[in-house]
Amino acid sequence: MALINVASREIQCKIVYYGTGYCGKTTNLQYIFARAPQPARGDLLSIATENERTLFFDFLPLDLGDVHGFRVRFHLYTVPGQVLYERTRVAVLNGADGIVYVADSSAEKLEENFQSLIELETNMRQMGNDLGRYPFVMQWNKRDLPNAIPEATLERYLNRRRVPSFPASAVTGEGVFPTLRAICKAVMACL
Amino acid sequence: MDDARRGHGQGRRVVEDGMEQLTNIVVSPSELEHIALLLGKLSQDTTASHVLLLDKSGQVIAAQGMTGERDVVALGALLAGAFSSSRQVAEILGERDFRGILQQGVHESIYTSLIGEHWLLVVAFDKQTHVGLVKVLARRTSDDLERVLERVLSGSAEAKEQVVNVQFRSSVENTIDYLFRD
Repeated sequence: MALINVASREIQCKIVYYGTGYCGKTTNLQYIFARAPQPARGDLLSIATENERTLFFDFLPLDLGDVHGFRVRFHLYTVPGQVLYERTRVAVLNGADGIVYVADSSAEKLEENFQSLIELETNMRQMGNDLGRYPFVMQWNKRDLPNAIPEATLERYLNRRRVPSFPASAVTGEGVFPTLRAICKAVMACL
Repeated sequence: MDDARRGHGQGRRVVEDGMEQLTNIVVSPSELEHIALLLGKLSQDTTASHVLLLDKSGQVIAAQGMTGERDVVALGALLAGAFSSSRQVAEILGERDFRGILQQGVHESIYTSLIGEHWLLVVAFDKQTHVGLVKVLARRTSDDLERVLERVLSGSAEAKEQVVNVQFRSSVENTIDYLFRD
């Protein structure tokens, strides 16, 4: 739920990176944290297990600075991708203004991606949101893998709503900022 | 399904390309002044070190006693996350929901309670203050804040139009392109 604080002249929006385990959600945030200009990026906060799997969420605040007298902020979150953490994902989704679905392009992950998208759609519907009418973009991550399945296949099976999608390799940074720009603009358009 | 879930998405205005307008909360200067007074009184009465008012998505609406802005932003995200997580626990246990959670430390403790279905009131206090007092006073403040929340929610649509217009959206898009370029 976007917050417009007229008194302190601030606008804050929440964006959630969603996807299966090891699909690259945290890597997206780490790349943004490493490359976003200094005044815009806050501290990257991670609640992770000892082996660096996301346990609860990662959190990265981005500050666009002063725009027409208002300070605009985007708060980026990731969810834990492992199947058994669905309740935690619901907790993080609470109040989201936009969602990036990060899909692992490996052939063997297609079914898992599909199931995870169904779960996302179900949870969003229970919160009263239709993903087709909501700020939502997709990222085809790990395009650099030798067994990456064609983008057309991902589009066909995972992007039935034909929302904007972006090929990416979060480890090298390819596609990370185009995805970020698209979701930030989609959120602003629906504000 | 809780009230908040039922309430979202109903009767929303459609913006461009069939997209629905997001639910917003717009806080006016007069309401923020009122909120600051209520938080200040609660802080004084409980001798709290910090009092925060959060949106349940983790955004900080008002803070008393905090100095470092980065800490406030991180605290908002963490406390809202912890509260949201506790509600999922309630659901698993078959409890309707947990209206408050207490985190006890050796020196400092934190009491977080839900206001209506949208806001969280957070009181951080030391061992000199009895937790029962904090709960009672937080409850009293919550009742006052709930009335503020009702006013804020009912006036949000008109108040927002004054801030978010075509020029504003265009400037934000340009800033996004500039800051988040490859």
